[in-house]
This record gives sequence, C-alpha cells and structure tokens, in this order.
Amino acid sequence: MPTSMPFADVHLPAESDVPPHDAASRSAVPKITIRNLDFFYGGFQALTHVGLDIAEHEVTAFIGPSGCGKSTLLRTLNRMYSLYPGQRATGEVRLNGVNVLDAATDLNLLRAKVGMVFQKPTPFPMTIYENIAFGVRLYERLSTRGMDERVEWALAKAAMWNEVKDKLQQSGMALSGGQQQRLCIARAIAVRPEVLLLDEPTSALDPISTAHIEELISELKVDYTIAMVTHNMQQAARVSDRTAYMYLGELVEFGPTDRIFLNPARKETEDYITGRFG
Amino acid sequence: MSANSTPWRSDTVHYRRRLFVSRFNLAMSLATMALGMVFLCWILATLFVHGMAALSPALFTQMTPPPGASGGLRNAIVGSGVIVATATFVSTPIGVLAGIYLAEYGRAGWLAETTRFVNDMLLSAPSIILGLFVYTVYVVPVGHFSGWAGSMALALIAIPVIVRTTENSLRLVPGSLREAAVALGAPMWKVIVNVTLRAARGGVITGVLLAVARMSGETAPLLFTALNNQFWSLDMNAPIANLPVVIFQFAMSPFDDWKALAWAGALLITAAVLALNIVARAAFRQGKAR
Amino acid sequence: MNDHTNKQFDAEMEAIRSGVLAMGGIVERQLRRAIGALQTDDDDGRFAAVTADEAAINRLQVSIDQQCAEIIARRQPAAVDLRMVLTVSKIVNDLERAGDEGKKIAYKAVETRSEPLTRVRHYDAARALDDAASMLRNALDAFARLDAPAAADTVARDAEIDAAFASILRQLVSYMMEDPRTITPALEIVFVAKSIERIGDHAKNIAEAVVQVVMGTDVRHASLDEIRAEVARR
Repeated sequence: MPTSMPFADVHLPAESDVPPHDAASRSAVPKITIRNLDFFYGGFQALTHVGLDIAEHEVTAFIGPSGCGKSTLLRTLNRMYSLYPGQRATGEVRLNGVNVLDAATDLNLLRAKVGMVFQKPTPFPMTIYENIAFGVRLYERLSTRGMDERVEWALAKAAMWNEVKDKLQQSGMALSGGQQQRLCIARAIAVRPEVLLLDEPTSALDPISTAHIEELISELKVDYTIAMVTHNMQQAARVSDRTAYMYLGELVEFGPTDRIFLNPARKETEDYITGRFG
Repeated sequence: MSANSTPWRSDTVHYRRRLFVSRFNLAMSLATMALGMVFLCWILATLFVHGMAALSPALFTQMTPPPGASGGLRNAIVGSGVIVATATFVSTPIGVLAGIYLAEYGRAGWLAETTRFVNDMLLSAPSIILGLFVYTVYVVPVGHFSGWAGSMALALIAIPVIVRTTENSLRLVPGSLREAAVALGAPMWKVIVNVTLRAARGGVITGVLLAVARMSGETAPLLFTALNNQFWSLDMNAPIANLPVVIFQFAMSPFDDWKALAWAGALLITAAVLALNIVARAAFRQGKAR
Repeated sequence: MNDHTNKQFDAEMEAIRSGVLAMGGIVERQLRRAIGALQTDDDDGRFAAVTADEAAINRLQVSIDQQCAEIIARRQPAAVDLRMVLTVSKIVNDLERAGDEGKKIAYKAVETRSEPLTRVRHYDAARALDDAASMLRNALDAFARLDAPAAADTVARDAEIDAAFASILRQLVSYMMEDPRTITPALEIVFVAKSIERIGDHAKNIAEAVVQVVMGTDVRHASLDEIRAEVARR
C-alpha cells in the first residue's frame, strides 16, 4: 500500500476486529464443569441433575427464588457442605478436570484454591493485618517483608488499602460493614485462589458499599473465576457475564447475561426476571 | 363477644384486665426482688460490720492463733491460694478442652450427649459429695489428708463450670465465622485455636474466673480432704490451712478472738469473690465488644 | 403473559401501551383528513382540525416518552418488559413522524388544488395514502395483540406502497417531459408521494418493533424472508 495514500493512517476496524457483543460468542474456557449434580440434605433433594460450565475469567451469577438451591450449588464447589453430617452430593464437579466430589479430595487444599465470601461480613477477631495474614500463613511461609507486601497487595486489590493502611493493627471488627466485607474479599484473594465464590456478598450492605464491591468484582474477574449468588437481579445483570436461573433445585436456564435479561428462552426465566413470579 | 356490646367497649374491658394483671405481676416481682435484696444487704452489712472490726494488718502477717491468743489468717490465706491455684491450673485445660470437644466436634454424637448429661449432674452435685468422693478414692488409700486432695476436690467442682461456659460461649460464635475460616483452607484445629476460641475468649475467661470464685468459697469438700493446719505449711502432701475451713472451725468455737477472725476471713473471701466477679464481667464485656 | 407481582407496574405498562394505541388513533384520523383533502375541494374546518391534532400528537409523544423513562428509572424492566418499553419509545417517534407527513400532505393538497394536473394525480395519491393508512392500522393492530405473524405481513405490505410511489413518480416524469409547465405542480405531487412512502416506512418500522417485542430479535435490517422465518420460530 503506497504510504502517500490519503487517510492511510486512519484505521477503520476490520469486521473481525469488532468485538462480538454477545458474551456467548466469546471463547470461554470452562474452569469448573458441573455434570449431573444431585445434592441431598438428609432425605431432601436440594439439587437435581444440575449441569453447567463456569468459565474462566468470567462472572457467573446464580439467581432464583429463596430455596432454589443456588447457595447449595455454590457450597458444593468448595465442599463447604462436608462440614455437616447428613449433607451429600453426587455427580461431577470438575475443577481443572479433577472431580472435587471424590472422597480422596483434600478439602483444605481445595478450599485454598476455591475461596469464598459470605453474605454477612465475617472478620476474624484479630487485627486487620492478621485477618489477611491468617489464610496466607496456612499454605505459605513468607518473610515479614513478604507478608507485608502480600497484605498490602490484597488490600489494594480489594480497593481498601488507602482506607486502612494507617490502622492495620486495629481490630478488623471495628471497620464499617462495607469495609468488613471488602476485608473478607481481600482475605479470600490474599491466598491467591483460582476461583472466588461470593454468596450474596452485598445483601447486608448499603448502596455505596455495594457499588464498591460490584466494581471490585468486575476488576477481580481479570485474575479469577467468579461464581456468585445474588438475590438482586439487577446486580446479576450489572456484574455477571453469564446468568443461571434456578428453581426448585433445577437449572432452568443458563446463558449469557445479556440474553437472559433481554430475551430469555424460557418462560419461567422471563416471569422471574420481570417480576411476574408467584 | 356479646351482641349488644360494641367491640370497642369489650376491648376496653379486656384492656383494663390486662393492665391490671400486668401491674399486679410487676408489683409482685418487685416485692420478691426487694425481699431478696433486703436479706442480701442484711448479710453483707452484718459481714461488713463484724469483718471490718476484726480487720487488721496482723491478719496478713500472723498465723492462726490458739484459743485465747491473738493472731492472723496468714497461713489460711496462703493455703487457700495455693489450693485454689493448683485446682485452677488442673481444671482449666481439662474443662476448656472438654468444652471445645462438646461445642466443635461432638455436637450430636452419643458420647457428647452423655458427657453433657454427666457434666450437668456434676454441676449440680452437692459439693460435700465431691469431698467424700475424693476422701474415699485418695485420702483413705494414701492414709492422710493433704493439699493435693483439696485441690482435687475443688478441681472436680470447677471442671463442670468451665466445661459448660466454654461450650456455651463457643456455641455463641456464629457458624459463618467458622465457615469463613474453613473456606480459607484452614484445618479444623487452626479454625478453633485461631478463630472460634479467640472469638469466645471473653466467655471462656469469664467461666474460669467464676469457677475460681466458686472454689474459693467451698468448705465442705475441703473438710474431708485438705482438712486444716494451724501452722505455716506449703506442703501440698500434708494437711494445709485454708480460709473456708478456718472460718468454719473458728465460727463454731466459743472463743471471741476466733469468732472475730472468722468474720474477717468471711469478709476477705466475699471481697475476693466480688472482685473476681467484677473482673469476669469486665472480661466478658471486653470479649463481646471485640 | 402473567401479571406482575407488583400491580402498579402492570398499570404503568398498560398506560404506555394504551397511550400508543390512542396516539395511533389520532394519527390515523390525521391521515384520513389528508385523504379527504386530496379527494375533495371543500374545506369544512379540516385545516383547523389537522393543526389541533398535530398538537395533540406532539403532546402524547412527549408524555409517553416521559412515562417510558420513568418506568426504566423506577422499575428497571427486564426481558419482555424492557423490550416493550424501548419499543414503545420507538413507536411513538414513528407515529409522530407519520402524523407529520399526514399534516404535510393535507397542507400540500390544499395549496396545489387549483392546478389542473394535480386534480387527476391527487386521485392516485389518495389511493396510495389509503393503502399506507391501512398498513399503519395493521401495524398498530399487530402491536395491540402482540401478533408477530400479523406484523410480518404488515412489513410485507411496504413493498406495495413503494411500488405505488415508483409508479406515481414515473407518470409524473412523463408529464414533465411532455410539458415543462407541469414541472412545478408535478414536483408538489412528488413531495406528497414521498410523504406517503415515508408513512409506509414508519408503519413498517412499527411492525418490525412488534416483532422485536414478541420474538426478542432485532429485525430492522433483515429481509422479509428472514423476518418470516424468525416469526415462524415460535
């Protein structure tokens, strides 16, 4: 192409350069594949034949009415349910290809890889610094300096370093609710998990703190795979790439969030997200 | 509701009755509380008047005297301290560990249920029975009373208190905190040591302090175990002086000197228990605030 | 479609829907007056009525758009509700434009009435406009019933209007070539025909919007066959 050509420096995007608008057409590598998952609380079946892929570096949101099994599903991903006798899961939940439901799974190592943040902020009764360092010390032996750096890194990732850098030795329980929740997120990412599970992370928070956390989720998905449960449909619409609608323990519809909220394929999904449910 | 009365009128009648019942019950509770307070204040006032009169520096420097002579309670105070300290030292780890087992591991198992039941029985067992028990299994085979036996009996009193308070305060720790620690990949023992026990710290310390308070006032078990010693002795393998038994003996005696010392000893124990209670409450409050 | 759990939301959605139908009724009335102006010479207050309805249409457009904005702000509609609100906002624009075209035709008809040429040609225009008005009515009926197949049929009718426009244009060109004195009135008729063609386009836009509400697919630049295939999907 002759360089003297007018407008040669103007690059119009070729058709292939235009990013596809639909999340579905993005190439998504599954991080967790769930197949035929059944879950029981004693004799009660809480999940029935659930199957879906949670894609790497994406936010997957689970929505549905209370008791639909979305939190239960989240708690199978890190085997949280194994704490309680009488709860069991059958089927497959493969993380990096390995079935975590196997009896041989080392639960502590699994949970170090699959971090979790809960509905209510749960700061440990220790200093802000120790809150972060606690999890790191479980699996890594860092120098004092290395630990200082890790704590700063995690708090900075959770967008709260500037707020707390002068009070790292204060109790984590003295923070505000929103800060406590971000501390919990910082604590979870400090151990550098591969997957982050968020169980209604903002339902106890005010709108400003919620906005902070949503912003944080969008930033974190660059490094992590995120699965979240939320009661707030607009939140799922705002932050997630894919949305799963669950009802009575079954996966009703799973797809790109844009499609689910604009044009869901199933009538049940549409009724739920448009407020025509029940 | 009768047909000719409006709901409004009928409501008023019911409301008046409820109001009356409420006021009557409130008045009765206040009256019973006042009754209790009167006796408590009476006891404390009597104790204070008589005890203060006998209070002197000699109390802390001189030994228990023979009848008719002047003296102090030094050997009894120190002896009590040694016995109670030993018992605390022994009962705290046992009680706390058992409490941890009940709250964290054996929530619903038969072993835990049984332990809990036995513990509750021990908690309400008359202390004299515990004294007799130690007398039978330890004092009789060994052949003599001793400080060790006294500590053993007191530890048996303290353990159920500590077990109960430890279990209860661990159960007050929200499950979400436990799950949060587990979710980081922490093994169970680390979760307990670093998170739940720390969160329940105030309650556990309170339990231990309350157990200490209870032990320092017990007389019956010591009568059969540590007995008493008129002289200065720190030998735990021999009878050892202690405040409750000294108070018991001196108060029953016909001698005015001894009676005065008994009052002073009683005041000392009461003051110590009061102080422990205040410390325990402060500790609990601090534990909660964190 | 089931009712919303929140009845107030239902009422608000119904308000914008019936607002569109009311506005469509006024636009249709406007088009009938334009047809009347093309067909007859007598005025009998038609001119004043056109002006008054034009103002009513404008007010409705602003008010319905405002209601749509309020629903979005207060209810965060999703899925079919969101598509409905967005579509209503588009439809009121198309209706307002169609009403404008009707007004223009009525004005032009009165202005060019004395010309001998226009007397004849107005007859063709009136017939084409009648087609366009009925197409608009079809589009609004499809909207009222959320009937995607009917909407697809309406889209198909746009070709007829376009053909009528081309035919009028061809005839006018031959007039103008034969006798240059007819150029000025012929151009006036071209404008009228162009307005009719635009009304057909607006009706088509409305019909396509109905397909989008019902099916969830944007068919604005799809071919008729593609639209028919999409509509047959469900």
